[in-house]
Amino acid sequence: MSEANSVEALLEEARLVAAMPPPEERLRLREAAGFSRAHFAATVGVGRQTIANWETGVSDPTPPARYPYLRILKGLAEIYPAPPAPHAPPANSEEIAALYTGTPTMPPQLPGPVPAALAGLETLRGPDGRAIEGDPGPCVRCGVETTYQSTDGRPLHSGALCQPITPAPPTRGPEATAPAPAPAAPAQAVPAPATTPAPAVVSPVAARVPTRPQRRSKSAERAEADLMGLIRGAVEHEAERAGGDEDATLKALIGRAIPDVMHLFNETRATARYEYTAYPALPDILHKPSKKDPDQIWEARPAYNNPAYSMRAPERDIKVTALDVNAAYLSALKVWLPIGKLEHSTGMDGVGPKRSGVHLITPAEWAHPHLPDPLGDRDTPGALWITDATLRLLLRLSGPKWALTEAPTVHESWTSGATENFLDALRKLLVAARSEAIAAGDRLTLEYVKAMYSKFVSTMGESVHNREMVRPDWMHLIHSQAYALHCGRAYKAHQAGLDIVALKHTDELHVTGDWRQVFTEGRGVSELKVKQGDGKTAGEYLVGKVGG
Amino acid sequence: MAGRWKDFGRYGANGAPGAEALGIAIEGMVHGISSPVDSERGLSARLNYLTKSDAGYEAMDRAGIHVSPRTLMAWLAEERSPNKANLTRLDAAYWDLRRRNVATDLKHRLNNNGRGTRVEINPVNQAGVEQKYQRDLAPRSINVRGVWDRAVDAWMNDDLADLDAVWDEILDLIGSDYDGYSYVSSIGWAA
Repeated sequence: MSEANSVEALLEEARLVAAMPPPEERLRLREAAGFSRAHFAATVGVGRQTIANWETGVSDPTPPARYPYLRILKGLAEIYPAPPAPHAPPANSEEIAALYTGTPTMPPQLPGPVPAALAGLETLRGPDGRAIEGDPGPCVRCGVETTYQSTDGRPLHSGALCQPITPAPPTRGPEATAPAPAPAAPAQAVPAPATTPAPAVVSPVAARVPTRPQRRSKSAERAEADLMGLIRGAVEHEAERAGGDEDATLKALIGRAIPDVMHLFNETRATARYEYTAYPALPDILHKPSKKDPDQIWEARPAYNNPAYSMRAPERDIKVTALDVNAAYLSALKVWLPIGKLEHSTGMDGVGPKRSGVHLITPAEWAHPHLPDPLGDRDTPGALWITDATLRLLLRLSGPKWALTEAPTVHESWTSGATENFLDALRKLLVAARSEAIAAGDRLTLEYVKAMYSKFVSTMGESVHNREMVRPDWMHLIHSQAYALHCGRAYKAHQAGLDIVALKHTDELHVTGDWRQVFTEGRGVSELKVKQGDGKTAGEYLVGKVGG
Repeated sequence: MAGRWKDFGRYGANGAPGAEALGIAIEGMVHGISSPVDSERGLSARLNYLTKSDAGYEAMDRAGIHVSPRTLMAWLAEERSPNKANLTRLDAAYWDLRRRNVATDLKHRLNNNGRGTRVEINPVNQAGVEQKYQRDLAPRSINVRGVWDRAVDAWMNDDLADLDAVWDEILDLIGSDYDGYSYVSSIGWAA
C-alpha cells in the first residue's frame, strides 16, 4: 500500500520536474500569491536563501524539498496562469488608473498586439527579488527617463508599470484622428491583430499622476459614496421590513437614528488625524446639577422681537415675510470643536483661533436699536459663561468691519486645541443625503437624516440614549454656533437694507422688504424658504410701526 | 495599588485613583428615581420600591430603618411622613436595593457576551506640574474583558480594595506605561 503510494509519488515528482517552470516563473507565481520567501521556505523545509536561489536560477530545486515546492508551484500556476503578454500591466493597474481619471473601469480588454521589440522584456532583479537600479536613460517602453533596467541591460521602468506604447488604432475614417483615448485604455477594438501596428510616437510626458489633494478628494468621495450606501440601505431595509407602511418605516428609522449616526460618525473618522476624548473630566460648569436643571453655559439662543413693529399697531401697512432656515443644526456642525480635555486658563490666555471651549465673559452693552443682541434675550446682568462660537461672534461684531459693540472682557476659560473640520465629513455626508432625498422627493430619507443630525447633537452630552460620548461642551458649541449663524443672517439682512422684525429659535427670521435680494430661496442648507404654518406670523403678514 | 507614583500630587498632578474612577463610572450607569427623597413624589416612589419585595425590607434593615409596620403603613398612606434621619436612610436603602437589582444587568452589558467593553482612560491633569516633572501620558483606549463581574460586585459592596485589584488588572493591559495610569482624571465607556 505504502509502496504503491511512494511509487505514485515518485512518478508524480518526475512529471513535475519534467514540467518545472523557469526561475522567473517561480518568482512570479510566488509574488502573485503574495507569499514571502520565508513563508515558502518554512513550508517546504529549506532555508529562505535556497528559495531565492531557485527563483533567480542560481540553483535548481533538489530533493527532498523539490517535490513539495513543485507541487505548490503547480497549484499556484492553476490559480495564477501566466499572463498572455509578458509586458501587459497587472490587471489592477488599469483599475487604479481609472480611479484617478474618473473613467469607469473597462471590462477585461483584449491586450493590444505587442511590438516585437518589446516582447519578453523583464525587469532586472537582484537575488533578493528587488529591481536593480543603474544609469538613467529613456525607458524603451515609454520614453521617460528611468534608472531601472531590463534583463538585457536597456533602461526600462520597473515592474512593467509604465505606460505602454499605444498601438495606433487602425484607420477607420475620421474618428481615428480624434483625440486619443485615455492612455491606460488601449484601442477598444483591434480587428486585425495580425497586422503589424505602426509604432506610435512615444510621448515624452509621463502619464498624469494625480496630485495629493486630488487623491485625497477622490478617496473622500469614495468614502462618502460608501456611507451614502449605508444610509440608502437602512431606509430600504426598514421599508422592506415594514412592508411598505411609510409611518411604520419612519418610526423604525427614527428609532435607529442614534446608533446609525454614531456608526456613520465613527466611519467618517476611520482615517482621521486626531484622537478625540469621548469621556473627559468635565469642569463643574458643564455638569448638570440634576436631570432637569441646566448647566451654567449660556447658549445665546435668539428670541428677539423688534419693539418698533407691532401687529397691534393702529395702522398695519408694512409687509413682513417670515423666513425659515433649512437644517440649521446641520450647518452648525461646522464649528471649532475642542478635541481633547478642557483646560483652565485665565484672562485672554484661552482665546485663540485654534482653541475652543467655554469662556466666562462680561459682555459690553448692546445698544443697537434695530438689531438683536448676539447674546440673546438675557435678563440677568453681569458675567456669564458662553461658548467659543458665541465669543467668536462677539469678537467679529466688535471688530473694525462691523463695529457694532465693544469687545467683551474674558475672565477665564476652559479650552482645548480645536479643529473646525472635526464633524465636517459627517456634515457633508448628511447634506449630500439630504439634498439627494429632496431631489428625489424621498420623505423617508429626509426625515431619517433629520433625526440623525438632530439626535446626534442633542444626545452627545450627558444622555442615557447615547453613551458613545459625553461631550456637553460640543453640544453647547453646536447649538450656539447655530444661533450665531442665525444672528449673522439678521446682520446680513440689515446691511442690505431690510428691517429685522423678529429673530427666533434657530430658524426663524422675520424681515421687511424684498428678502430675495439678499437670500436665495430654496431648500438647500444655504438657502431660506418662506415659513409655512397656521400661526398669525407665518408666510407674509402685516405689521405697523409703533412708538418713535 | 499598583505603581510607584508614591507621593501623588506632590508636584501638582490632579486626579483620582483608578479604582475610584472605576466605581464612579459604574455608578454613572445606574439610573433610578430622579425626584429627590424630600419631595412627595420621590418619597412615595422609594417607599413603593422598597415595600414591593422581601429584598426591599432587607435593604431597609441594612440601612437602619427599624420602624413598626404601623408606621410604615402610615408612611405609605401618606398619613405621616418620615423624619429627616429616616428620609436619609430611606434614600440610602433605595439606592442600595437599586444597585443590587441592576447589578445583573450591568454585568451583562459590560461583559457584552464575553467581548468586553472598550474603556477610555484619560490621564491625570498635569496642568499644574512643572515641565521637568511631567510624565508623558496620552489618553488610552483599551478593551477590557473578564473582570466586569468582579468589578460590579466590588462596586456593589463598596469594596475599594477589590475595585483596586480590578484596576490593577486593567492596568496590566496598558503595558509598560501602566504606572502612569494608577491615577486618572476620568474614565468612560459606552455600555
